[in-house]
Amino acid sequence: MSNNTSNKRLIPKNALIRASLIWESWVQTCYNYERMMGQACCHTFLPIVKHLYPNDKEKQIDLMTREMEFFNVHPEFGSCILGLAVSLEEEKAMGADIPNEFITNIKTSLMGPLAGIGDTIYQGVLIPILLALCIDITRSGDGNIWGSVLYAVLMIVISYGFSYANFMFGYNTGSNAIMEFLEKGTLNKLLKGASIMGCIVMGGLIVNYVKLSCGIVINTSGTEFSLQKSLFDAVLPNILPLLATMGIYGLMQKKWTSIKIILLIVVVGIVGGMLNIFA
Amino acid sequence: MTITITQAILLGIIYWIGEAQLPFVSLWVTQRPLVCGALAGLVLGDPVTGAVVGATINLVYLGFISAGGSMPADMALAGVLGVTYAISGNLDADTALAIAVPLGLLGTIIWYLRMTFDSIFVHMGDKWVAEGKFNNLYLSNVILPQIYAAIICIVPCSLAAYFGANYIQTFIEICAGKPLQIFQIIGGIMPALGIAITLQYIFKGEAKIFLFLGFMAATCTNLTLIQQGIIGLIIALIYIQVTDRMPAASASASGNSGGYDPDYDPDED
Repeated sequence: MSNNTSNKRLIPKNALIRASLIWESWVQTCYNYERMMGQACCHTFLPIVKHLYPNDKEKQIDLMTREMEFFNVHPEFGSCILGLAVSLEEEKAMGADIPNEFITNIKTSLMGPLAGIGDTIYQGVLIPILLALCIDITRSGDGNIWGSVLYAVLMIVISYGFSYANFMFGYNTGSNAIMEFLEKGTLNKLLKGASIMGCIVMGGLIVNYVKLSCGIVINTSGTEFSLQKSLFDAVLPNILPLLATMGIYGLMQKKWTSIKIILLIVVVGIVGGMLNIFA
Repeated sequence: MTITITQAILLGIIYWIGEAQLPFVSLWVTQRPLVCGALAGLVLGDPVTGAVVGATINLVYLGFISAGGSMPADMALAGVLGVTYAISGNLDADTALAIAVPLGLLGTIIWYLRMTFDSIFVHMGDKWVAEGKFNNLYLSNVILPQIYAAIICIVPCSLAAYFGANYIQTFIEICAGKPLQIFQIIGGIMPALGIAITLQYIFKGEAKIFLFLGFMAATCTNLTLIQQGIIGLIIALIYIQVTDRMPAASASASGNSGGYDPDYDPDED
């Protein structure tokens, strides 16, 4: 419905760029339980509003007030909603009959799915893989700072670049295109591929960075039998780190919180260390 | 090594930049111990140790997800303080990790303080918008909440850095022997948590078996993680291409459009 019905646009390109930069930069500077990102959403309209209603302060205030409402999404994946909202407000200002509730409803209906995808892809796949690789770079040899630098540069470029592109995608294509993207199989294929790569990296990470070895030494008729050296290392080295990881994974599947697990690890470490079960 | 008051304040500022979500996407960048640890190291004159200890601490927080305004643990505080104590107390990375992660749990208090009281500034924003003073949004959305965040972040972190750093040496001397060994055991297990949290998102369906492939590859070869990641990417591409050709598999894949769960959050319940 909000496809390019008219070539005439009220908002200059640089105002759109500024709006998208405001969104990406200040999206969570005043994050709060009451409106979450609502105020950031309103702030995004700051460079836009004067182009929509140049001489009508009342209408400007109306627009800004309705953009101030509760809003919460993944910053980068959700920026298309902001672009879409800007384009709807623009059409409205140009005379299209768009009720206020329609804009609010479309924002709220899109924020759930986009937050879900965004959190999964960004925090569940992209960041862990990137972090794992950059941590490995940092710790290689005698250590260096390049992993930190590389990670920071990549994340800033990816986040700002994707946020801007997605903002423009929402602004130019409208809600149907966003819905279509959400329903298409491409996303699932992407997620599946990323999960496979992620699993392979995580498997390597367990071996390289989880450290747990058995300290039990059995003394039978004068010969020492170290469980770790004679059993685990002979059959499958790193079996204990793998078991620890899968055990914690199992607890998380049973809805244990990370705080509980941290405390459990502390207790297991103390008991296991005192009794020499672990070394 | 003792640290100066100026250094302590700078460390507090690094924590604030990471925690309070200032620009350059601090949420994804400076909040991560890999990055804020290197910055803390820079302040203390040893960026390489900072980066290495930060990287180690970051292992615990690989897949930590902050969704819907929740914050399961404060990785920025763990990163800054862990690096500070590691450098001032000459700790190895695992011991620093074992001390920093439980401390990071305390940091969530700061996050909830911020999330709760930031509402005050939203009401200021409401008022200014109703009066048509739109430019004041910079005050209510950025400047004022950030001043508030700076106070609640810098003060506790600087104090913890200053006093902690100057007592950590004594503390470690008391702990010499068995307790220190226990710290290392805890620090060694803790990265399993970061991996397990990440697995909540990717250890699913057909991808599951590849975890064990990755595990075996790393156990049996000397591949670096980067090399293993590149091989992993290639394997993923091959797998997608092959399964795409199989009509039944691709039909079930496209039929199952809800492959992700939008409300899923491992730390919510």
